[in-house]
Amino acid sequence: MMPIVWWVALLLLAVQFALWKLRAGTFLWTLASWFSIYLFLHFGFTVPVPQSVISLYLGITTLATVAYVTSDRERLRNFTAPLVRLCIEPGRRPVLYGVAVLLPALAAFGTWRSMNVPLEAPAFGRTIHPAPPDSITVHDKPFNLITLENPYRKLEKSDPAAFARHLANGKRVFYQNCVYCHGDAMRGDGMYAHGLNPIPTNFAEGGTLALLQESFLFWRVSKGGPGLPEEGGPWDTAMPAWESFLTEDEMWDVILFLYDYTDQRPRAREVKE
Amino acid sequence: MKVPVSLRIAALAVATTGFYTYVGQLVPQKEVHPPAEVAISKDMKPDEMAKVGREIMEGKGLCFTCHTIGKKGPLRFPDLEGVDVRAKSRVPGFSDVDYFAQSIYQPSAFIVPGFNPGMPVINKPPIGLTDDEILAVIAYLQTLGGKTTVTMQTKLPYQAGGNGQAAAGTVAPPPAGPTGGPAATTAAAPAPQNAGKKPETPQNPNPSPPQ
Amino acid sequence: MMKKGLAAFLAALLGFAVIVGIATFLLRREYHAPYRAPAAVTQETPRAQGIADEKAEVEKRDKEKPYQEVEYRQFPKIGSRVAVWIAAQLHLLFAAFVLAVPLFALAIEFIGYRTKDRRYDRLAHEFTKLLSVSFSLTATFGAMLTFGLIILYPKFTTYLVSVFSPTFLPYVGLFFFEAFFLYTYYYGWGKFSPRVHLALGLGLNVVGTGIMLIANAWLTFMTSPSGISEKGALISTWDAVRNYTWMPINVHRIIANVAFGGSVAAAYAAFKFLGAKTDEERAHYDWMGYIGNFVAICAFLPLPFAGYYLAKEIYAYSQTLGLTMMGGAFSWLFIIQAVLIGNLFLAANYYLWLGMGRISGAEQFQKYIKYLLILVATCFAVWATPRSIISTVSEVRAMGGSAHPALQFLGVMSAKNTAVNILILTTFLSFLLYRRSGKTPTVSWAKAGNRAQLAIFLVAATIVISLGILGYFVEARVRIGFSIPQVLSVLFTMVSVTVIDVFLYRNATKTGEVRWGQIAPISQYVLIFIAVTFTWLMGLMGYVRSGLRQHWHVYGVIRDTSVDAFTPTLGFATRIVSVCVLLFFLLISFVFWLASLTGKKDWEPRPEKAAETERPGLEPVGAAE
Repeated sequence: MMPIVWWVALLLLAVQFALWKLRAGTFLWTLASWFSIYLFLHFGFTVPVPQSVISLYLGITTLATVAYVTSDRERLRNFTAPLVRLCIEPGRRPVLYGVAVLLPALAAFGTWRSMNVPLEAPAFGRTIHPAPPDSITVHDKPFNLITLENPYRKLEKSDPAAFARHLANGKRVFYQNCVYCHGDAMRGDGMYAHGLNPIPTNFAEGGTLALLQESFLFWRVSKGGPGLPEEGGPWDTAMPAWESFLTEDEMWDVILFLYDYTDQRPRAREVKE
Repeated sequence: MKVPVSLRIAALAVATTGFYTYVGQLVPQKEVHPPAEVAISKDMKPDEMAKVGREIMEGKGLCFTCHTIGKKGPLRFPDLEGVDVRAKSRVPGFSDVDYFAQSIYQPSAFIVPGFNPGMPVINKPPIGLTDDEILAVIAYLQTLGGKTTVTMQTKLPYQAGGNGQAAAGTVAPPPAGPTGGPAATTAAAPAPQNAGKKPETPQNPNPSPPQ
Repeated sequence: MMKKGLAAFLAALLGFAVIVGIATFLLRREYHAPYRAPAAVTQETPRAQGIADEKAEVEKRDKEKPYQEVEYRQFPKIGSRVAVWIAAQLHLLFAAFVLAVPLFALAIEFIGYRTKDRRYDRLAHEFTKLLSVSFSLTATFGAMLTFGLIILYPKFTTYLVSVFSPTFLPYVGLFFFEAFFLYTYYYGWGKFSPRVHLALGLGLNVVGTGIMLIANAWLTFMTSPSGISEKGALISTWDAVRNYTWMPINVHRIIANVAFGGSVAAAYAAFKFLGAKTDEERAHYDWMGYIGNFVAICAFLPLPFAGYYLAKEIYAYSQTLGLTMMGGAFSWLFIIQAVLIGNLFLAANYYLWLGMGRISGAEQFQKYIKYLLILVATCFAVWATPRSIISTVSEVRAMGGSAHPALQFLGVMSAKNTAVNILILTTFLSFLLYRRSGKTPTVSWAKAGNRAQLAIFLVAATIVISLGILGYFVEARVRIGFSIPQVLSVLFTMVSVTVIDVFLYRNATKTGEVRWGQIAPISQYVLIFIAVTFTWLMGLMGYVRSGLRQHWHVYGVIRDTSVDAFTPTLGFATRIVSVCVLLFFLLISFVFWLASLTGKKDWEPRPEKAAETERPGLEPVGAAE
């Protein structure tokens, strides 16, 4: 069974093909292409695309369509011809009336739809990974985040047995503290996750842990939501400042465990010239 | 109906800028304010003072540019771990508060053996801590190996306008403390008593922290 | 009788009611002095004495008042930040224009000198017509900015002077020479031997660039100070000049200036084209607009690379500064920038496609436009895809995290680098198609040449795309290194394909004529759109360059303690940028209008008819419309 998105894509391609076979005019073809893209953005993804991105893409599509239609006199004539015929040919009066009714109706429908969305907190862009401060103080010990490394990372090569002990300790820490929100498989779907906004970070996907250095994680774990800079706001993330509950070693161990469990590597430090 | 060309051009320019302004309103709007100055009030309790002092040392005071807490091995500047213990006995006749005050207002008056002079006068620009801020810093330094005894009412002999009147009674004026305030004296002129005890050159070419 | 009486009574009643109404209304608006006790009562208290004492005290205090240095002063209504911001932005826009136009005017004049084609010489002269008024406006806004800084930010200005005092005299000297060269270059047009005149133009450019380099030192120092002690005291002015971002800004600005100057000159041509009365005029201004836009786009293509260079140096200077720019408070600004740059690319391509309309025989290329457009739109979309997507709670839940599983791949550097490289290649392809319209090559190796060009294009595109994809699988360190081969392959393509093309189309048979002036009028609005977009883009990027310092005057050295120390919202910033852009276009249209006056005959009383016929056809007809 193919996922539904493939059906949508196939259907849209079929429409394009039919238009091509039927030698459809510029007007019909352009309009059909625009709607194809609209439909694809709305239904063509298993995971729905956020409205803000759809608007952005549709804006670009519209600009491109306008540019295409008007960039040649011939094409512009072809595009406007059906519209002109619609307006002046008496035989098409019923269609014209139909359009005259349909357009306001569409506007009304749009209004009705936009008023009927369920009540929801407004969309808000927050910087997910804001720039960390240069240094932080955890348990009265200053840490320079620019040069900070996980002290136990090097054990991975030099002393695998000790590394495994640290991993085991990290596992214990995770399942005693973090699992309730971040979930069994670290997908950000723990049992409390549904009550939180923003939802807990999903570590299983490749776009989070692998892009960050361990020092960044140490900052986020130790300082939590309260330690976020202003740009990371609004401050409604429920991540506690774990420095109040965990020792420094426990935090490093759980960071090791996060990478190990999700089979990812921390981002390497850029070498400065 | 023919619209003049200049009007059309103007309309285009306005519409274009308008569109970009509109795009500018769509993105998240956030004002970023500079980090707040640490608020100091005259009625802070000792533990509050220590907390504020620590923040000042991290931020405005720039103390940790040079000093460390709990670092071992070769050092360029004295480590501050347990510094209060040493401060009590560093200069004969000086309490820990006296010693800290002197180190901050006249850093070159006494140099810890094994180190080179290099600390700026803290109550002058560019660091320019106020007298109250310095009291908070001393409060924190005292917690490193001791207990905070200073209060916000403590008068230090170096304070501007302070004539060595130890109002709270915890600080005795140093034997020959400057009377004109920090503006009148320079850090290069140490108090006479201390001159003899001040090491001329560091004895140890590979300095290590005094313990 | 009764009825009449009743009517009269009612009328009188109504009349009274109206009068009462009017009177009430008027009285309500009349000024009534508030009640005051009679003079006799108030005089008994020693009020006068009190007033006199108070006055004497104030006078005494005033006399004893010591002089105090002020850190900041406030500009009324709009505040200091906005006042200096607008003055600086307008100064910069006019300065960019005054520096850029001589650059390509000289190049065009040189082409005219070598090819002996008088058209080029006239074109270059027409470009320089815009200079002299712009130059005075530049100086005016420069003075406004300087006074603004001295008055509103005295302490900070004093500090900058302490660091850069040795550079001010050379700056003023260069400014004098700039004026000298500019006016002799403009007024001496056609009065000297061409070589002398070209030398004057060269002098103008050298001096102008020198001025910019000095001014750049001041402002780059504020972002990435060097040559000073930890406490801000000057160690070496030369080290302060060549700080981390000085060279990148110099490179970036020279290129951007040319692009900006070209687009504004093209907008001037468009303005004249739209108001033209004869076909000859239209032909001339169509050509002028084309050349101006060509200059702009050529300069625009390498601009993203200069931008990378600048960003790299900012990162090298301070990781925190770099992160603030790309990942922190300013990251959304780059989405706005993506929209602008996407628009620029789209408009540039669009203008070229419209331009095919003036060449007969260009129809054969029309079918490709569709595909070029799809490429441009796709790259635009990729470039504008944000890294952190704005989404509602339910959308976030549906995505299972803040990143969309498919779109997250488009938000990162690899995708964006690839997109901008492909965009550049596509625009270049559009230009190539335009160039070929109406020509057929006659050389024997035409087929092979075409194939070679196609092969180069395909190889470059493959390199760019495969490196882009590979970028997802390697470490960040390696990924950043990939951008260099990507850029190099694009540059190589542009150079090699152009070289082949030049030889390929040597002595080509013309199957179609370029009918200058035969272009859809909408193309001229596109030119104006490009100019406005460019100006706006400069305003926006100027804001991020300056705003990056956040609450510092000089980053890490002089803290901003004024009321404007906070970083405003992007919405506010874009509104100020828009105000600057609109002000600039208001002033530059005044410059255009003045420039069009120079071609007019002096006013003298003469018969109506003669005035109509005497008007020379090719001279600009003015902006009476």
